[in-house]
Amino acid sequence: MHLKTEVIIIGGGSTGTGIARDLALREIPSILLEKGDFTSGASGRNHGLLHSGARYVVSDREAARECITENRILKAIAPHCIEATGGFFVSLPEDSLYWRDQFIRSCMDVGIEAEPLQRDDVLQRDPAINPDLVAAVRVPDGAVDPFLLVIENARDAERNGAKCLTHVEVTELLAAGGRIRGVMARDTITGEPHDIEAPFVVNATGAWADHILKLAGLHLGLILSKGSMLITNRRLCRHVINRCRPPGDGDIIVPNETVSILGTTSVTIDDIGRIEVTPPEVSRLIEAASHLIPAVKTTRFIRAYAGVRPLFQFADAADGRAVSREFVLVDHGARDGLSGLITITGGKLITYRLMAEKVCDLLCGKMGVRVDCKTAVTPLPGAERPFDLSGRLKEFGDVPLQGRGETLCDCELIGRGEIEGILRQGRLRNLQDILHRTRLAKGTCQGAFCVYRLLGVLQEQGLTGGGEPHEILKGFLEERWKGVRPILGGLSLREEELIESIYRGLFNL
Amino acid sequence: MRYDLIVIGMGLSGLMSAKTAVDAGAKVLVVGKGTGGLCLFTSGIDVMGALPAGAAMGEALPRWIERHPDHPYAKMGWEGVREALEAFAELFPPPYGFAPEGEGNCLLPTGAGTTRPTYLVPATMRSACRLEKERTLLVGFQGFRDFYAEYAAAGLKCRGENLAIPEIAGRNNSATSLARLLEDLPFREQVAAEIVRRLRGETHVGFPALLGFRNPMEILKDLEDRTGTAIFEIPILPPSVPGMRIFRRFRQHLIARGATFLLGSPVSRILRNGPSCTAVEILHPPVTQVYEADRFVLATGRFMGGGLCADEETMREPLLGLPLSASLPREHWFERSFLEGREHAIHGVGVVTDGDLRPLDGAGRPYAANLWIAGTLLAHQRWIDEKSREGIEIATGYRAARKALAS
Repeated sequence: MHLKTEVIIIGGGSTGTGIARDLALREIPSILLEKGDFTSGASGRNHGLLHSGARYVVSDREAARECITENRILKAIAPHCIEATGGFFVSLPEDSLYWRDQFIRSCMDVGIEAEPLQRDDVLQRDPAINPDLVAAVRVPDGAVDPFLLVIENARDAERNGAKCLTHVEVTELLAAGGRIRGVMARDTITGEPHDIEAPFVVNATGAWADHILKLAGLHLGLILSKGSMLITNRRLCRHVINRCRPPGDGDIIVPNETVSILGTTSVTIDDIGRIEVTPPEVSRLIEAASHLIPAVKTTRFIRAYAGVRPLFQFADAADGRAVSREFVLVDHGARDGLSGLITITGGKLITYRLMAEKVCDLLCGKMGVRVDCKTAVTPLPGAERPFDLSGRLKEFGDVPLQGRGETLCDCELIGRGEIEGILRQGRLRNLQDILHRTRLAKGTCQGAFCVYRLLGVLQEQGLTGGGEPHEILKGFLEERWKGVRPILGGLSLREEELIESIYRGLFNL
Repeated sequence: MRYDLIVIGMGLSGLMSAKTAVDAGAKVLVVGKGTGGLCLFTSGIDVMGALPAGAAMGEALPRWIERHPDHPYAKMGWEGVREALEAFAELFPPPYGFAPEGEGNCLLPTGAGTTRPTYLVPATMRSACRLEKERTLLVGFQGFRDFYAEYAAAGLKCRGENLAIPEIAGRNNSATSLARLLEDLPFREQVAAEIVRRLRGETHVGFPALLGFRNPMEILKDLEDRTGTAIFEIPILPPSVPGMRIFRRFRQHLIARGATFLLGSPVSRILRNGPSCTAVEILHPPVTQVYEADRFVLATGRFMGGGLCADEETMREPLLGLPLSASLPREHWFERSFLEGREHAIHGVGVVTDGDLRPLDGAGRPYAANLWIAGTLLAHQRWIDEKSREGIEIATGYRAARKALAS
């Protein structure tokens, strides 16, 4: 297919979809290309943490200031993607109180609400926390659903004129006379080639930024830092729990919908194609998190996963965590003599909107147009229905199912009606595309029961394609295994025996 | 009160031990915290599904056993396995019986549209043994989420349809609630009428395995008469109604023969005196009760049953700390691929016994004079890969009780 547009955005994560939306609201046409589905990269593989900025406030005030500003903006424009749990920075007896004082002072300087709390007060508000704690500081951390956030950005971008092509991989950057002219791309499922013409190309591929730049013979030298996380089978805490000390491994626990997420590690890696969580990392995370919440030791884990942080090296630094978390915006016209090409990378989920704004401001400057950014004040679609977990649970407690159809997923209470609604939205190329748009399979059994049911529904709708239907099921089980295998031990072996008894035993797959 | 035998575990192996003992006139207590995998997964009786297709069990299994001298089957040989299977089958007189179809394994369709080999086929699945896909219709129920007829049919290359029954529309229907409903004639009439409406010349109808608890063959015959087709059951996602039928039959038999049946009772300790086990301690919070016996069969299964447990790094047998056949480092427990390639090594680990199924201590001597092991807790079997679960449970449950009573 031959297409023509003003801006090509490569990457369907939070930054890419954020840029597409920002441009669309400024009425600048764009086409977004994503080689997988939305949220296939770090946007779908993070902590789901709505930072207040407190975590970086001592080491990097500028980053902290950006965080708290974006925290407030996101709460206003995307309340349905956010659970404003609040967060505690917990001081254990071995943690420096000098650091804590510095932390509170820095929060005040930056404008992050920081409320010092006594031990008993903390335990009353969140009884799961280690009773040995000395004190804690309450900050406006929260939980965010990154899948919903990205999908809503893409949806709103398209509603306002952008075009998003998923499962389309960029194969060439087209340039002539020191100017970018467009890209060649290929549909990864059908193989169909696309050539797309545009005067501007934005590389918003996060950790893959150097892969794209290589197509033009360019290189940023990003450091790739793997962060691993574990999901528990229940919600361990009511607040985001951080250790009140300089950031380290395994010192954050985020309550997210029905589960909690522990993390993270920081391991520098060479090959982005091979990221897996190792059993020693799992043990390390459990050990570290158990200092914050002792019940971590006796909790059943349901999955491990890892995301890759792209870190830009301003100066030499050995440990990934010491490098700035701030994003980088590279104008390759100025840096490399290839005008029209821009790379945006680094940063955090919480600052995706700001990153998009900066990119679009730069683009507008180059185009010579003056339109202000509207994303800070325009709510995302769906913002009128705020986050309401207990309401959802209540609704499912009623016996008659009304129009919801049978309950496909017991862990997350997803009915057939919700899945059929997603199928009606279209643009679903494979099972993962569906799973990115629902909480089905994200709960305790990690899809062991509900994915069979989902496939049953897909079959009825004629959506499983021509192949052997249980090949899709096998593919899902292997993908699931990647996340489950690292955490198998302790109580999770029971669940494992159940699943294996069904799929290898009963169904003989 | 003192028992001749206490059986710990109420899965198929424990039930089989208890049956064998009561049939020999022993005074038996059977205690379990749950019903094991039986009520979740069992449909037919697998003995060794991994044998080559078409192989006669009586010829191929003895040869297989020769090549696997550590396997629990090697402790009793094919003759011993067959004797135990016969003892099991005698609990299920016609019309709802279990029998082999031909000499070897029979491939039966599953709810995922695959087929799986089993040896003793329940009467309700017999018509599925020679599936003719052009002449077969699979039916499910609209709103029943544990069996999707069209999905299973796509894998089996036949036709599938969901029945619309107004009585059950708009609610979450479970296999057990549908099984009970099918025991009622008016409901069955609606189901039969719906099947007839959807037939397009098919002569065989596959039905999720929930044709009632009490008289499945009566229900099946009634549906056959009303639809003019041959009906068969297909195993579906847990729970398993066919497994529950087996459980109910055992319970009925054991109670009729005077066994004491304590379901929902976790054994917290096995008490010992010198070389012998003397009693089990059962928690009924806030009460702790102690039951004494002369002999004990431990049939607690694997991780799901609580027969094995693990922390992050090591596995153990929690009641007595019995030595396990291997101590594998955690990274070797499971392979990188879930379905393909090598077997997961963890499944071969279990309790080591002598030829009489008495567990051995670290020095290779019997751990206690009056303790026997039955079921999947045993080492050197890989029931998932072998497709041998029920065979192992029945054969070792039977043998453990026989050896215990002979001592």
